[in-house]
Amino acid sequence: MCLLTTCEEGGSPVGSSTFLHDTWWVCWRELKHFAGQKVRIVMMLVQPVIWLTLMGNMFERMAMVPGFPAKSYLDFMAPGIIVMVTLFGGIFGGLSVVWDRRLGFLQKMLAAPISRSAVVMGKMFAVAVQTAVQGSIIFVLARLLGVGFAAGPWGFLFLIALAMLLSLVFAGISLSLSAVLTTHEALMAVVNFMTMPLMFSSNAMMPLDMMPRWLRAVARVNPLSYAINPMRSLFLSGWNWQELAGGGLMLLLCASVMTLVASALFERSMA
Amino acid sequence: MNVAIETDNLSKTYGMGIKAVDGVSFSVAAGEIFGFLGPNGAGKSTTIMMLTTLIRPTSGTAKVMGIDVVRDPQGVRKTIGYVSQDIAVDENLTGRENLRLQAEFYHVPRSQIGERIREVLKMVDLEDRADDLVSSYSGGMRKRLDIAEGLLHRPKVLFLDEPTLGLDIQTRRRIWDYVRRLRDEHGLTIFVTTHYMEEADSLCDRIAIIDHGKIVAEGSPEGLKKALGGDVISLKVRNSAGEICGDGVGRVIEKMPFVQRAIAESDGIFTVIVRDGEKAVPRLLSSLSESGITVDSITLKRASLDDVFLHYTGRELREDGGKSEFHRMRTALRRARK
Repeated sequence: MCLLTTCEEGGSPVGSSTFLHDTWWVCWRELKHFAGQKVRIVMMLVQPVIWLTLMGNMFERMAMVPGFPAKSYLDFMAPGIIVMVTLFGGIFGGLSVVWDRRLGFLQKMLAAPISRSAVVMGKMFAVAVQTAVQGSIIFVLARLLGVGFAAGPWGFLFLIALAMLLSLVFAGISLSLSAVLTTHEALMAVVNFMTMPLMFSSNAMMPLDMMPRWLRAVARVNPLSYAINPMRSLFLSGWNWQELAGGGLMLLLCASVMTLVASALFERSMA
Repeated sequence: MNVAIETDNLSKTYGMGIKAVDGVSFSVAAGEIFGFLGPNGAGKSTTIMMLTTLIRPTSGTAKVMGIDVVRDPQGVRKTIGYVSQDIAVDENLTGRENLRLQAEFYHVPRSQIGERIREVLKMVDLEDRADDLVSSYSGGMRKRLDIAEGLLHRPKVLFLDEPTLGLDIQTRRRIWDYVRRLRDEHGLTIFVTTHYMEEADSLCDRIAIIDHGKIVAEGSPEGLKKALGGDVISLKVRNSAGEICGDGVGRVIEKMPFVQRAIAESDGIFTVIVRDGEKAVPRLLSSLSESGITVDSITLKRASLDDVFLHYTGRELREDGGKSEFHRMRTALRRARK
């Protein structure tokens, strides 16, 4: 309410409530777009089913290898699929900036009395919300396909929180790139170059122990691993606090750093 | 006179030393409709972007309603409305949602949002279609919605960048009617760029012509036309051998005592500015035939703003420049995406 009174008095509404207000409305627009894309929402349901059934079946026999950390490959892979979908959702977050720039909507927002950081954070937050929706869908589908989950209802919330943090990391990377790369083609090229190597040099689809030595070294520093390890422990073994705290804090740190970097790059490029 | 916009030596230099705007100084009075004209690439857009805080001036100052664009950009943003030439409405939202978003971005008090939206929708005649997705709107409707968005927070100064570009004649006329009403009924100051000279002529209280980053003329359309000297003769000529004539003829014409200026346009076509058209035509004809030049056609008209523009920039304002080319491509792309 105090926000409204300052406006009415003709003064400038400043402070964190205005910032949150602006961020929310940037986010609102993104979520409206998201809700309007019926085909995309259908695909969001279909895609994980295909991944889970197809990949799950294809690699089913891997679970028979001695030392495999899960009862079935599907159990092992479910958190990997959540991470993969989060990675893709986040890393393409910058595309909306490129579109907005092209359509002149970015300029419109920049000419309005809202801060540049609110534009960045609104878009990042919208990506995180979409990730939460997608992650929940995959979780439910995986459970329906018989995947076990050791950590219970609170574990589910923690799982989604981890996915959202991870999506913020990649949305931050993507938005930072979009501040520098102004064309659709350039952004797509860089993003496509990043996603697959990130995915396959992590332990999303393959246990660390089954990787060649050099790949194992890469996987250990791959940011995806910070999400996969705690997520997988929620699925397979329950509340493994060491994994959860380590991965969660690391993701929190990375997400904060990327938010700051993206905001700073935006401020600078749009000065 | 209350000053709404004031610039002093405003300049913008891009990388590699390209001076897009080079020491521009002008002022716009409150309640004035000020036209900013210039060929493509003359510095119009750069100037408007500096005034709307989208880019930072390299040097010089600019103030909008007394607020410095560099020292207090947020203050300027709150005071102004900006309608870019991009027609930047969100086609995935309805008209009303677009307006709602704009109201929130400009911190319009919540209790007034509904009423303001109804008010501007009425003003641009979009009440019936307000709850349809913008993707179903025509180009003219989108532009009207865009202008409505620019008015929602009741700005004191409205910047309109090419508001009628690419629109049909009825829509153009309607938009200019809105603009005039805004000034008359709400006392809004309006800063407008346009390619259409006859529009600038009938609408603007004052205009400035910018070329190569510098203001080359400033004044009321009437005053500028008067300063030009009066009448304009266009003629097409060839020499006795039937060849098309070049600059030589232009110099011959310019030497005639009643001629103020002769501009060679293209293949034997000349624009000649004279003081007293009716008397000048027969004299011009006889002088030319004495020099062995045949006149194919000749027309006489009163000076228009087009002639003023041509006089100061040596170019005619044409729509098919690089920028509008880009704009058309972009529009086509947007359509194709649907």
